[in-house]
Amino acid sequence: MHISGVRTRGRSFSSRRLFIRISQYILVVCVALTINFTLPRLAPGDPLNYILGDEANSLNAEQRQQIYRELGLDRSVLQQYGDYLLGTLTFDLGDSIRFGRPVSEILVERLPWTVLMIGPAIILSALLGIVLGALAAWKRGKAGDASLLTGMIILESMPSFWIGMLLIAVFAVNLGWFPSFGAVPFTGTEGGLAYFVEVARRLVLPVTTITLATIGSNFLLTRASMLNTLGEDYVQMAEAKGLSERAVLFQHALRNALLPVYTNVTLSLGALVSGAVTVETVFAYPGVGRLLYESVLARDYPLLQGVFLLITIGVIAANVLADLTYPLLDPRARSGTRSEVS
Amino acid sequence: MKNHTRIVLSALFLSFVFILAGCFSSELEKSESQKSESESKKEVSTLRIAIPKDAGPLNIYTSNSDFDYLVELVFDKLFAPSPYVADPEPWLAESASQIDPLTWVVKLKPGITWHDGQPFTAEDVKFTFEYYRDGTPNRHSHHVSEAPSITKIEATDSQTVRFTCEYACPTLAHITLADLPILPKHIWQDVKEPLNHTGLPVGTGPFRLVEHKPDELYRFQANEQYFKGSPAVKELVMPVIKDPSATFNALRAGEIDIAAREVSPELLDTFKNLPDMKVVRTAPLSLVDLRLNYERPPFNQPEFRRALSLAIDRQKLVDTVLLGQGRAGTKGFPHPDSPWTNPDLNTPFDQDEAKRILEQLNFNDHDGDGIRETVSGTPLEFTLKVASTEPTWIRTGELVKNQLEDVGIRLTIQALDPGVVRGLTKSREFDIFISNSTPHSAADPDQFITMQRSGNLWKKELPYPEMDALFEEWKQTTTIEDRKNVLFRMQELFNRQPTSVVLYYPDEYWAYRTDAYDQWMESPGYGIVHKYSFLPSDARGGAVVHE
Repeated sequence: MHISGVRTRGRSFSSRRLFIRISQYILVVCVALTINFTLPRLAPGDPLNYILGDEANSLNAEQRQQIYRELGLDRSVLQQYGDYLLGTLTFDLGDSIRFGRPVSEILVERLPWTVLMIGPAIILSALLGIVLGALAAWKRGKAGDASLLTGMIILESMPSFWIGMLLIAVFAVNLGWFPSFGAVPFTGTEGGLAYFVEVARRLVLPVTTITLATIGSNFLLTRASMLNTLGEDYVQMAEAKGLSERAVLFQHALRNALLPVYTNVTLSLGALVSGAVTVETVFAYPGVGRLLYESVLARDYPLLQGVFLLITIGVIAANVLADLTYPLLDPRARSGTRSEVS
Repeated sequence: MKNHTRIVLSALFLSFVFILAGCFSSELEKSESQKSESESKKEVSTLRIAIPKDAGPLNIYTSNSDFDYLVELVFDKLFAPSPYVADPEPWLAESASQIDPLTWVVKLKPGITWHDGQPFTAEDVKFTFEYYRDGTPNRHSHHVSEAPSITKIEATDSQTVRFTCEYACPTLAHITLADLPILPKHIWQDVKEPLNHTGLPVGTGPFRLVEHKPDELYRFQANEQYFKGSPAVKELVMPVIKDPSATFNALRAGEIDIAAREVSPELLDTFKNLPDMKVVRTAPLSLVDLRLNYERPPFNQPEFRRALSLAIDRQKLVDTVLLGQGRAGTKGFPHPDSPWTNPDLNTPFDQDEAKRILEQLNFNDHDGDGIRETVSGTPLEFTLKVASTEPTWIRTGELVKNQLEDVGIRLTIQALDPGVVRGLTKSREFDIFISNSTPHSAADPDQFITMQRSGNLWKKELPYPEMDALFEEWKQTTTIEDRKNVLFRMQELFNRQPTSVVLYYPDEYWAYRTDAYDQWMESPGYGIVHKYSFLPSDARGGAVVHE
């Protein structure tokens, strides 16, 4: 009776919490949508000057108005906002001003490339960062730790575009091992093994760049967290039990030390859809980041709103994922813990 | 210890995979390049050209003159190559003759077809000019409705077009017909909203656009039926590479054959010394200038603008910022290489004269802080706005700031998003900003007139008796010579009290791989990447100036 009572309380507590969380997310989405709409329009400049360049300055007011009308920019801001909200709900994001094509079509084209580039980089950066961080902490103060730490701090302080340019200079220009730009080969048809090999080769340098640029934070976080954990009683207990070095390190210490790293990695999943502007620029990679940057310059409002929407969804999804999965790793974060303890 | 070994081993394995992948690919590339070497350089199957910016689906309504070199691969004009040469030659036209000061008759070349096989006729020409004049405005509209103002376009038969102007139009063939691309009537007559038209373009030009991936790639295929002869290059692949260093790395690595952008001064020596690479210099008809807000005091005083112009040592800017790769802007606006620019223009550097004028205007330094004040005590302090994406211009701005401080004027440099800077001419929220003029603005005399009247360099609503009188005189002239004379006087007046203080005329250097293609030629204002470079040499006509 006592136990079931606790369970009921736990469940009601948990569903209330779920309700609050969902309302929070809805609120965040609404605020984000509004900001996505207003921010680009608050910036001075308009798409006309981008499209027509200096020639736009030779148009009179009536001619400008005619062009705005065709681009749908002559209507009141409130009308445009209404259209935008409605469009978002129905997944009709309008047409890009610069390309004249549906925004959703362009996003669908770009998204896979960003995921393909950022996905492996996040995984590699997390795995290598964690393993090396754990080893460094284990060898704390020794030569291996010192050199890893120095190396990682150097990497962490290098801007990603710089790493990218170095890799291009060495591996593309001097050694000629990998292509320096683009996602697909110019010639040859899509599909087939040769095509996939080419696509993979074009991924190597950007993925390596992002991995190197982000590995530092995972390493430093793991190392710091490990150093705390290694001082705990239960680790010394495990060592005293005579467990192997590896078992103590990976099964006892690392599992606990991983929690902050896990949060860090999960939150970085948002970048899966937002891309990495500088790396995409350096490698002329057709990702979402570069699309965003170009759209800002062009004041391509519909496309900007589309990219912002995608990023909003990505960041919120990463947060939801972190929220939902964290308790699986850390029993202390689960609701109704007491019942499980008992 | 065991762990360390394992890590080292995995690292070795990874490197091995990298190397293997690398070797595999270099083999592939080698066989491809061997193949291309065995072919003649005069006829090439594919050329890879990196372009710095996406131009949309080459819709004339959503592209600006930066992209003329792409648009004109697909579209032709009645005269070629541009208004920037002294004597354009008939292209789609066979001949053009002026009947009287207001009337021209243009005969078209027979037997030309659009990419979709439809015949090109006088109806297409009539439609295009009327569409530009009466339809949604585009960058060509004011060259049909204002300078010149074409009132009537008639297709007297399928190969003849008659143009009637509102006031004399002696330069119609030299400028207007060499500037406006001709659209196919059978496609565009149904387009009600040309800005939203997205189909791949159909033209008469030497290339067909067959693929466009936004911000990523253009692919053109040769139009074997081109009336000037089948192009020497069968396919053009143009990846969009925004970043200059990425572009030139790709060129060095042999992944592209040429970049449609200038080699920056810092990279010149490296590229000149690379094997299989050639660097050529062209004189682009572009310029970098300070735009002054002539509606704000004290910039509304002609003499104050003159003092500013005199205070700037342009040669120093060229030596310091451009590392000598350009010419000082001492010949003012427009570009001195345009056949339509007064060769005697002169905008010298004379700080003493600048100081004398400022004193005459009662701008003196009363409080001894080195900065002059107006009679009411307001110091001469202004903001110089510049696009944050243009480091060369920012450096230029810093030097200009120092030079103006020498005559008692203080500038604050403000680097802004390029989108904001582009909108300044319209918003008028500036004192001074750094701008650049493309050939269309810096070398086309009709555009010079338009810019004086449209709020760009001046606006017609603002009284400017001297210039307005010259404009009326300009309209009355009926021969090219007379028109040039008045134009030259307008340019003199403009540079005496400039609203655009030209700083320099940059040189452009182009690097290309000689093992891929070596038939590049310069066309003024276009550099070397343009359609004439891809035509067989006997089909290029007089469209290009020199090799």
